Amino acid sequence: MAQKVCLQPCLGLRKESILCRQAFYVVHEDLRPETTVLGCGPALNANVQEDVDFINMYPVLAGEACDKDCATRLVAKKGKSAARTVRVVDLIAEEKLDLSDLPESENIPTDHPAVQVIAARIAAMVDELSNGA
Amino acid sequence: MAEQQEFKVAVLPCNGIGRLVSTVVRMAAYKIKKMRPEQVELLSCGRLAVGDPEHVEAARKYPLMVIDGCRPHCASFMADELGKTPAARLYVADVMAEKKINVAGEKRRGLTAKGEKLVDALAEAAVGEIDRIIADEMLSTL
Repeated sequence: MAQKVCLQPCLGLRKESILCRQAFYVVHEDLRPETTVLGCGPALNANVQEDVDFINMYPVLAGEACDKDCATRLVAKKGKSAARTVRVVDLIAEEKLDLSDLPESENIPTDHPAVQVIAARIAAMVDELSNGA
Repeated sequence: MAEQQEFKVAVLPCNGIGRLVSTVVRMAAYKIKKMRPEQVELLSCGRLAVGDPEHVEAARKYPLMVIDGCRPHCASFMADELGKTPAARLYVADVMAEKKINVAGEKRRGLTAKGEKLVDALAEAAVGEIDRIIADEMLSTL
């Protein structure tokens, strides 16, 4: 049974990336603070010890905004495999979320319904991973 | 005028997530692009870290400005990985100290006016560097 799960979000620049990032904050700070750590991609790339430890100690849940899968590939670059990769665009489609009112290149409030819905889905995935599923 | 459009700067913000400065850098990057839309190629650290050809090419093609949020200087690390010496480096703490901006109490998931003040200062500093780099590039061709 995994004690914690490492959240490794895409840190791109598009709207879906911001949604992913904000949802991961909600999961880590509000929904599952005891069972998650928040991995920082550029810090992992720069071999910051804390972030290297995170992917070595815990299963990684990578959140992707597009099919480039940069977070998953970054974990692989550092010699590990993400336990699970979730594409936010798939969750948006499954939940039939309309992002048309969200501007590009601006922050999305964490209380936005789309952020909350995505966060809830990710929290459920955290539970599965932390229970060894 | 058409020739002036050829001069661009690739901007690499660290775009981290762990700290307040991560959000400051991210929001400043968007502002920089809005302030100099024709002169800035905004790079994604995620795509650059995994060697995405489009972003690697842009980083190599144009003068590079890196913006580091916190002490590990991760954007600078990426420039080193690429073998590219940045034409300019910005570090958030330097701007914060110079402008005497206090962001105590701000949160990484969303900034208030206090945090936005640092975003604005960082973006202004970056645009100043971008203008300088482009002027230098232009003059070197004359």
